[in-house]
Amino acid sequence: MTILEERPHQPEGHEVSLMEIVPGPRPAGLVKYITSTDHKQIGINYIVTGLVAFLVAGAMALLMRTQLIVPDNHFVTQNVYNELFTIHGTLMLFVFIGPLSFAGFGNYLVPLMIGAPDMAFPRFNNLSYWLYLGGFGMLMAGFLTNNGAAQFGWFGYAPLTEAIRSPGPGGDLWLVGIGLTGFSGIFSAVNIITTIFTLRAPGMVMFRMPIFVWNILVTMFLVLLAFPVLTSAFALLWLDRHLNTNFFNNAKGGQPILWQNMFWFFGHPEEYIIALPAFGIVTEVLASMCRKPVFGYKGMIAATLSIGALSMGVWAHHMYTTGAVLLPFFAAMSLLIAVPTGIKFFNWIGTMWRGTIVLNTALLFSIGFLIQFLFGGITGVILAQPVLDFQLHNTYFVVAHFHYVIMGLVFGVFAGIYYWYPKITGRKMSEGWGKISFLLLLVGFNLTFFPQHDLGLRGMPRRIETYNAGEGWNWLNELSTIGSYITGLGVLASVWNLFHSLRHGEIAGDNPWDAQTLEWACSSPPPDHNFEALPPIRSERPVWDANHPDMLTKVGH
Amino acid sequence: MHQLTRLTASTLWGSPNGVTTQDHWVRLLWEWSGWFALPIGLLVIGLITYALIRYRHRPGSDRIPAQFQYHIPIEAAYTIIPLVIVVIIFGLMFNAENKADAVAKKPQLSIQVQGFQWGWRFVYPNYHVEVGTADYNNINDNNNLPVLYLPAGETVQLQVVSLDVVHTFYVKEFLFNRDLIPGVNNIFDLTVQQPGLYEGQCNNICGEYHAYMRFQVEVLPPAQYDTWYQNQPYCSTTTAGVSGPPTSPPAGASCPNKPVNGTNPLS
Repeated sequence: MTILEERPHQPEGHEVSLMEIVPGPRPAGLVKYITSTDHKQIGINYIVTGLVAFLVAGAMALLMRTQLIVPDNHFVTQNVYNELFTIHGTLMLFVFIGPLSFAGFGNYLVPLMIGAPDMAFPRFNNLSYWLYLGGFGMLMAGFLTNNGAAQFGWFGYAPLTEAIRSPGPGGDLWLVGIGLTGFSGIFSAVNIITTIFTLRAPGMVMFRMPIFVWNILVTMFLVLLAFPVLTSAFALLWLDRHLNTNFFNNAKGGQPILWQNMFWFFGHPEEYIIALPAFGIVTEVLASMCRKPVFGYKGMIAATLSIGALSMGVWAHHMYTTGAVLLPFFAAMSLLIAVPTGIKFFNWIGTMWRGTIVLNTALLFSIGFLIQFLFGGITGVILAQPVLDFQLHNTYFVVAHFHYVIMGLVFGVFAGIYYWYPKITGRKMSEGWGKISFLLLLVGFNLTFFPQHDLGLRGMPRRIETYNAGEGWNWLNELSTIGSYITGLGVLASVWNLFHSLRHGEIAGDNPWDAQTLEWACSSPPPDHNFEALPPIRSERPVWDANHPDMLTKVGH
Repeated sequence: MHQLTRLTASTLWGSPNGVTTQDHWVRLLWEWSGWFALPIGLLVIGLITYALIRYRHRPGSDRIPAQFQYHIPIEAAYTIIPLVIVVIIFGLMFNAENKADAVAKKPQLSIQVQGFQWGWRFVYPNYHVEVGTADYNNINDNNNLPVLYLPAGETVQLQVVSLDVVHTFYVKEFLFNRDLIPGVNNIFDLTVQQPGLYEGQCNNICGEYHAYMRFQVEVLPPAQYDTWYQNQPYCSTTTAGVSGPPTSPPAGASCPNKPVNGTNPLS
């Protein structure tokens, strides 16, 4: 907000014409934060709230790792430990990475990237944010109740979640909190899909949209397909808990397995709902920093679409050990999804090939994403095979697998933050702090989660509050905990960087990275309603074409 | 290279060697997955590293980035080759899964495994029950855990049943997990080849004392198992941590130990 005043002077005509469009006093500060329907302000709100959730949930992870550093530890009680991992997982998925990527970056960037003045439904957009913030509040409020927050894990398998097994308001607040973020997600999806279909600038045909916008579009369709099922499951569970229905109560003819099917029918698309935006971010960062067009642009879109389609048919690979699903079908679908993901990897490598790769923090985080996600993908192919999953199901191998995947995405999100921070604030983030943060995160993260593969192979189940000293899990847990502290330091370095650069960062200018897509055509930060004028849009990188008419995309092969 | 795979596969990385007949299939899939995953992973990391070093921007260099965008033959190759690999892995997996998951129609021995918050109950064909709850005060206490006795080398059919919430039957040396879900009738066959004492644990969050929901499996040579089994009276109960002979219901009373039929007995 203060930065808005400090941004470098625009040519005379620009600012004057803006004031003529929207006369009168403009809200600022807290009032602007609360009332704004501007997609950029709402996007920033999402990003800031998401990062707060990341810090809170990360602190919970450190508490859990501290509990596990030695066997038979009594740092926290069983119930507190159960609350910690439940709310850690819930915040990370429902408040941090999902909304931050598709609603935070999505809100801020989609209109800018397609040359639109705002979202299709700005006030609806505002409602989405406040529902989401309310959901965050509800989830945290569980800790204030006398029975504590929810204690049954982020996928809350019935019948443990029934009122008789998990009494108290903690479970209800968890239900309502996730329900609210679910509605928020659905509303954002409606809004962003409409925006992409109706508000593209002249010349911005679908096949000229940046990959990020394509990925957000597919993500939003996944949200529309998956979140209503989740919300219905939550409604049914709420009825079970409060109105004595028996949807998930086997004793009265209900089916606990129904919960698992409904939850994972949402849960696996959710994994791609959080992954696709990060794929998009990394694609944009790589293309910009390598100063090349995205290699295999159309193949990339086809890969995104097939990931979206396949992801609707893989949910039961979370349920191999239930003995109640058709193993070969879900195994085939789960293995198949590796193919489009592989295509993306080779496209990313193709984008780097023969470019001029600028090794700045945003690029390093993208590379971090590639490596972590690759490893998570490979262990994913192992887990997709039912016979191997019978061995590894619910062990720390699974914990390591999905943290490699999700922390890979977090690296992607960090790449996005370093990359678009200049656009959002008008200043660049410090490269020095950024590289320190990257190094700490890379080392800390791998030290935390690599040993967990081995812990899983050695048979350590997830979600146990403590363990027997004779199992041979001691030193691997020590390593993992030390790694988690280093990860924490890495996150703090970036958080410090975010605050510090807000005042002291180098002034960025409109297009500090010599980037390619439309958001770099307006000032940093962009004015209200975004664009005074647009460069001609004749390819998927209009800004590059305008700046480098001598280096247009080579047609043909 | 083959030697290397053997070496890693002989211990399955950090995991214990499997002691059941299923071990063969698990090991086979690990080996094949390793054969495909390691080269692909190394190739991708190698290409990324090469590109980063070879094509990095050096200050002062005026090298112009190439502006190509498509290369159909290469793109087709990295679509089709992974598809073929996936088909191969699926074929192997399909075969292994059919073998590893096969259930005998007429098993030699059936035992019902019941899980509850937070302990285990093992019901034998003569309704002898081994039952025990964990020691909630001491995670290191291995002497008071419920014990599942099994004969070595014989195919045993286990029916896993939950008495309350979802639990998972998990013994790391068996390389095997199976969930206990109210309303789902789960049956699987197990042939343990190696006698010994194995640690088992619930592997699905089931409430406050999930971590303490442990048990032991004592696999005895068939003769020893038979002797043990003959010594367990009809409908008797042995409770972990309680010394003395198994308790039996009073003469004339009906047997309370009869297994539950995949449904919740508390209903």
